[in-house]
Amino acid sequence: MERKRNRVEIIHDMLRIIQERGGRIRKTHLMYKANLSHKQMTSYLEELGKNGLVENFQEKDKILLRITNKGREFFVQYSQMREFEKTFGL
Amino acid sequence: MKIVFTPDWFLTSDVLIDTFSFVILMLLFSLAFRSYKMSKNKSSLYLGLGFFLMALAEVSIILTKFVLYYDNSITAQIGAAIVTYNVVSTVDIFYYIGFFFSRLLVLLGLYMIYKIPYDAKITKDFLIILYLIFVTALLSHSMYYFYHLTALIFLASIIANYKRTYDETKMKTTKILILGFSVMALSQIIFIFSKFTASIYATAQMVQLLSYAILLALIIQIVQNGKKEKQSGNNPRHA
Repeated sequence: MERKRNRVEIIHDMLRIIQERGGRIRKTHLMYKANLSHKQMTSYLEELGKNGLVENFQEKDKILLRITNKGREFFVQYSQMREFEKTFGL
Repeated sequence: MKIVFTPDWFLTSDVLIDTFSFVILMLLFSLAFRSYKMSKNKSSLYLGLGFFLMALAEVSIILTKFVLYYDNSITAQIGAAIVTYNVVSTVDIFYYIGFFFSRLLVLLGLYMIYKIPYDAKITKDFLIILYLIFVTALLSHSMYYFYHLTALIFLASIIANYKRTYDETKMKTTKILILGFSVMALSQIIFIFSKFTASIYATAQMVQLLSYAILLALIIQIVQNGKKEKQSGNNPRHA
């Protein structure tokens, strides 16, 4: 059985999904792709927005999310950290 | 008693190799510490501490060798020691302390890298190990090979740990890590025979340089893999 993701892992997954979608995504798509409930996603998005990792923007009549440069940096740093820990078996 | 086995033609290279080793160890420390800050995984912190202790050992050895090789006033003191026994005692004690601390810190660092990341805690036998490492560093002044033999045993245990990790993950970076530590272990074997000819010491240092170059390649690989990570399969585990 897969273990539960911790907070940072969920944030990393969300950022990865946005990146894979070309840096922008609809909130509902993100919710399904990241396997989160609406309540969880709202809470995480609030945290991501507060830390400047993602931002809302309007395109035509839709509100979309996009990853910021700070979000990209965080994503890279987290990926490096995971790579380091896996390499050393931590 | 001979303090160092470095041939004259290798003096500058010797210090440069130690400086390079210091830089690599500090890079590994910073990676481990950054991981700890992000994940709060104590194993990363202790692993980083192990690398940091080894980096401190390199500082100790660089300073000692620098004074030994390049400080003319010390050389003059050694000359004066022919007539003044007290001076030679002072100079001896300086080198003795410098090399003692470098050996103590390297062994402590290797022990931490071997043991603590997997337990993430200091066990009851830590004091005994600490004492044995202290005694080894102390005895290594008169029996230099004792230190290299102990370092070799620690390195073999570290390699065995990473081999287990590689069997589970099959990661290329773990393979590079094993190679780096294996070359370092080889350098310790060569160091054991460095008393016989000066060129053996130089060879051992060159092999050690190679091991740190491999660890540098590992750092580059980890950083690059992190940059280009695009995990396939959009199937996050359950939240």
